[in-house]
Amino acid sequence: MTVNEWIFVGLFLALAWLLPATPIILAKFLAPKRPNPIKQQVYECGVETTGNTWVQFRAQYYIYALVFLLFDVEIVFLFPWALAYNKLGLFALFEVVVFIVLLVVALLYTWRKRALEWSS
Amino acid sequence: MEDISLVTVVFMLPLVGVLPLLFVRSLSEHTMKWLTLTVSLVTFGLSLLLLYNFDTRVAGLQMVQKWDWISSDSFTIRYYVGVDGISIWLVLLTTFIMPISILASFEPIKDRVRLYYIFMLLMEWAMIGVFVAQDLFLFYVFWEVTLIPMYFLIGIWGSEDRIYAAIKFFLYTMAGSLLMLLAILWLGNEAGTFSLPEIFAKLNSGELSFSPSTERWLFLAFAIAFAIKVPMWPLHSWLPDAHVQAPTAGSVILAGVLLKMGTYGFVRFNLPLFPEASETFAPYIALLAVIGIIYGAWVSYGQDNVKKLVAYSSISHLGFVMLGIFALNSSGIQGGILQMVNHGISTGGLFLMVGMLYERRHTKMMNAFGGIWRAMPLFSGLSLVIVLSSMGLPGLNGFVGEFTILLGSAGSQVLSLWFTVAAAVGIILAAVYMLYMFNTVYMGELDKEENKRLPDLNWQELWSLIPIVIMVFAIGLQAGFFFNYMDSSVRDLVQYLGDTITAAAGR
Amino acid sequence: MFEVPSLSDLNVGATLPVTLLALGACVLLVVDLFIPRERKSITAWLTAIGIGVSLVFSLLSLSGAVEFGSGELAFSDMYRADRLTDTINVAALITALLGVMVAYDYLERTRLQRGEYYILLMFSAAGAMLMGAANDLVIVFIALELLSIPLYILSGFRRPQEASEESAMKYFLLGAFASGFLIYGIALIYGATGTTNLPEVWDAVAGVVAEDSAAKFLVMIGAGLVLAGLGFKVAAVPFHMWTPDVYQGAPTPVVAYMSVAAKIGGFAALVRVFGMGLSTFVLESGAPAAWQDTIWLVAVLTMLLGNVVAIVQSDLKRLLAYSTIAHAGYILIAVAAAGTAGLEDTAAQAVVIYLIAYAFTNAGAFAVITAMEKDDASNTSLDALRGLASRCPWLAAAMAVFMLSLTGIPLTAGFVGKWFVFKVALQADLVAAAVVGVLTSAVSAYYYLRVVWMMYFEEGEGDAATPPALAWAIGVAAVGTLVLGALPYLLSDMAREITLAFGG
Repeated sequence: MTVNEWIFVGLFLALAWLLPATPIILAKFLAPKRPNPIKQQVYECGVETTGNTWVQFRAQYYIYALVFLLFDVEIVFLFPWALAYNKLGLFALFEVVVFIVLLVVALLYTWRKRALEWSS
Repeated sequence: MEDISLVTVVFMLPLVGVLPLLFVRSLSEHTMKWLTLTVSLVTFGLSLLLLYNFDTRVAGLQMVQKWDWISSDSFTIRYYVGVDGISIWLVLLTTFIMPISILASFEPIKDRVRLYYIFMLLMEWAMIGVFVAQDLFLFYVFWEVTLIPMYFLIGIWGSEDRIYAAIKFFLYTMAGSLLMLLAILWLGNEAGTFSLPEIFAKLNSGELSFSPSTERWLFLAFAIAFAIKVPMWPLHSWLPDAHVQAPTAGSVILAGVLLKMGTYGFVRFNLPLFPEASETFAPYIALLAVIGIIYGAWVSYGQDNVKKLVAYSSISHLGFVMLGIFALNSSGIQGGILQMVNHGISTGGLFLMVGMLYERRHTKMMNAFGGIWRAMPLFSGLSLVIVLSSMGLPGLNGFVGEFTILLGSAGSQVLSLWFTVAAAVGIILAAVYMLYMFNTVYMGELDKEENKRLPDLNWQELWSLIPIVIMVFAIGLQAGFFFNYMDSSVRDLVQYLGDTITAAAGR
Repeated sequence: MFEVPSLSDLNVGATLPVTLLALGACVLLVVDLFIPRERKSITAWLTAIGIGVSLVFSLLSLSGAVEFGSGELAFSDMYRADRLTDTINVAALITALLGVMVAYDYLERTRLQRGEYYILLMFSAAGAMLMGAANDLVIVFIALELLSIPLYILSGFRRPQEASEESAMKYFLLGAFASGFLIYGIALIYGATGTTNLPEVWDAVAGVVAEDSAAKFLVMIGAGLVLAGLGFKVAAVPFHMWTPDVYQGAPTPVVAYMSVAAKIGGFAALVRVFGMGLSTFVLESGAPAAWQDTIWLVAVLTMLLGNVVAIVQSDLKRLLAYSTIAHAGYILIAVAAAGTAGLEDTAAQAVVIYLIAYAFTNAGAFAVITAMEKDDASNTSLDALRGLASRCPWLAAAMAVFMLSLTGIPLTAGFVGKWFVFKVALQADLVAAAVVGVLTSAVSAYYYLRVVWMMYFEEGEGDAATPPALAWAIGVAAVGTLVLGALPYLLSDMAREITLAFGG
């Protein structure tokens, strides 16, 4: 490898730092600063905050999130496969079936373990 | 299926004897004792048959048995057993000592009897294994396996400091033998086989040869393992602990057979495998041997504990054996081998004697006794024979061995005459400490009240001492019969040593 | 353009043992949902059957009686079903079977009886098997995760007991860290060679060295990082710190299984990566591979530290944890020997022999501790052994056999392992490592014998409970240790045809 090829890596690194840093620094200098209590509140989708922000969430939230993530990712894999289905043939079908079966096992498990029910 | 050699039968019989002890739960203690004794007696009987079948004209191995154990593309390991003139007496010594020590355990061993006799038979099995193995792997296996039963014998049935003694015994010997393991592996890698006769053949034909420095390293790796076992001064410090703490039968086996594994190793491995290095190191080893002789005798004299006295005397006696072996001539080596047997018999006897005293008074201190002869004449008479044999009175076995050794070392080409002179001083010292001990314990006035009503020998004790006394006289008066068996093998070995040494000098 | 493989290229038959196990675990995961809590013995039995079936297939494949699949390679050259794979499969499956047997009663009496235990154990066994079959660095990584993640969970299985949770957390965090090292190392090797396929790496590395390009530094760093990642799994110094804490905190049956399975997997992968992939990484012609010095130095440190620190331990689980570190050192000597050209196969054989011997012995030793341990995880100190020999003679005898085997006394499996390891070390001229090896063995004799002396020489109240399954596990392990020790050709014949494939 010659040195020249590495220059692009260096450039890329530098740019990667520069691009996000520039607007942040610019905002610091350009933006007007007129704080009031409402502005300094924690941002919660525009709704006014009530009570302490350090509350514990139900464990179900996490399990829900996990299950959601699993099936979300499933779509990411299945979508391209579906688009190229005609060209991929039997092999890919087999692979996808294996994939889905594994997820079904996981779904069955979460269902029987009552992770899908909200109130326990 | 080929025939099973007698050697294999003798070797495996004790192991077969272990099986009922392990698996038959209903045996009474009485049955277990007698079963073990019977097994060891039958083993002894068969080993006599071994002697009967032995052809004294053959120098090489006899009654050989060879089975492949591990075979691979680059090496083979065999179950390979046989006896020759060097090992046959040691096998017999083992089978002779075992029934005696089992008989001597009938009374003293009262708890965990089953375990005790299991370990006794395992011990016998492993010791015979060491002496008949002709494959380095097999030899190493049994060399190490002897440690385990002895560890338990000392640790469970020993006296107060038994745990310390047991662990010290184990660690000492194991540390030494692990270096030997590396040397064995190295040798096997070079030779492509682990069976000893094949390695000798390759050495003889020049197919396998070592550079002088390699040879010395290998010699030392083997020598350290054996020297710890012998034990040679200054590696002896495990011995007094182990001997003193072990139960009587344990001491008898330790002194009678286990120590011989070390000296046997020198004859079997160091001399023929590394003849040139043997010659180089002979004066140094002889020096250590002579120091051992004097040191052992000196320390023995200073003891007030009978068992310790006997233990230290072993160091002295084995110094003689080592001196004989490294005289590197026929009478030295033959004397050395005979002296191994003699020491096994007489020191075994001495330890039995100490054990019998201890059973009666529960002390091993010399000053607790005195005038025992009047209370126990039979016991004292037999003891006198053993004591005299141990100090080398002419007509008894000790004399023949020591005399032949001195003859060998005086005529040796590698040792200076001073070694012989110093060793002779050792004999005089032996007379001093042995007679001192005998005088204090047995002679004089029966002045202590507790000693006045000591019972004389019971039948088990009597029968464990009688064979020893018989052998003391037999070897003392008919030494030619014993030498005759080792003659061809030793002559062959010495010839081989001489040839290679001359060849090396000519290069 | 990417070529779409056809279904017959998969060669699933060759992967049958591991595929069956993984499938079995999936099916069992569903079946277990319908088994009521009081009858989890059914799950245990089904697990044992699943492992048993896979074991039968592995043994059939090992004996050559049945040829599964066509050829060695499967899944587009990702998976290699050769002799090494078969032997590692057998070792991992035997360990898993012992693991199930040891666990059943323990889980019952500590009220941890949940089906997931067995299923996780099956998955991690599949991971260990895959590591032995890896023909590609990517598989090494995936298999490592498949092996490790179930183990993280199993370590914390005694929730909410704090020690167990702490153990799981520690293991997980450090394990994840090590996985990071591994994947980064793999990336660097890929960067230097342009492939993750091990035989191709083997080819490419030779080219990289011949060209003398800067890429050889990438290989060097990559190899170092892979060593760190796998060294963590097998608990080699300096990546050993987690071991005592994790082993002490985790439920004992889990330790019985994972102390062996993680080593089987880790060393199988080390042999694959270093023996098969990087053995051409020779900087001067005629010299051994560049990583040899590093590995034997690591081995020496591991043996020294493991054995010396074990001396002062008073807790049995901790003592054995340090002893497992020491044993990793012994096996590493054999791995280092694979760096000498021409010795790769012999070294791999020595590793396998040692691993199988170790599997029986170590699983057995932890099984004995399981028998001693009370329901509140107490009674595992060395003092608790006092007088065990008079209360439970057979259990004590088994423990004595395990201790002697770990010491390396002949007629036990441990000796056979050490014999082959030191033999190959001397062949590779690693004399210093071998000498340290034998000397530390002598040191180890002290603490192993201390266990024996506590049981036999001391008086005390030592007691243990051995329900049938556990008794069988201990019995099988003890008999295995003795039989392999007395008939070493069983091991050597099994291992002797192990050859690592070279070249693309």
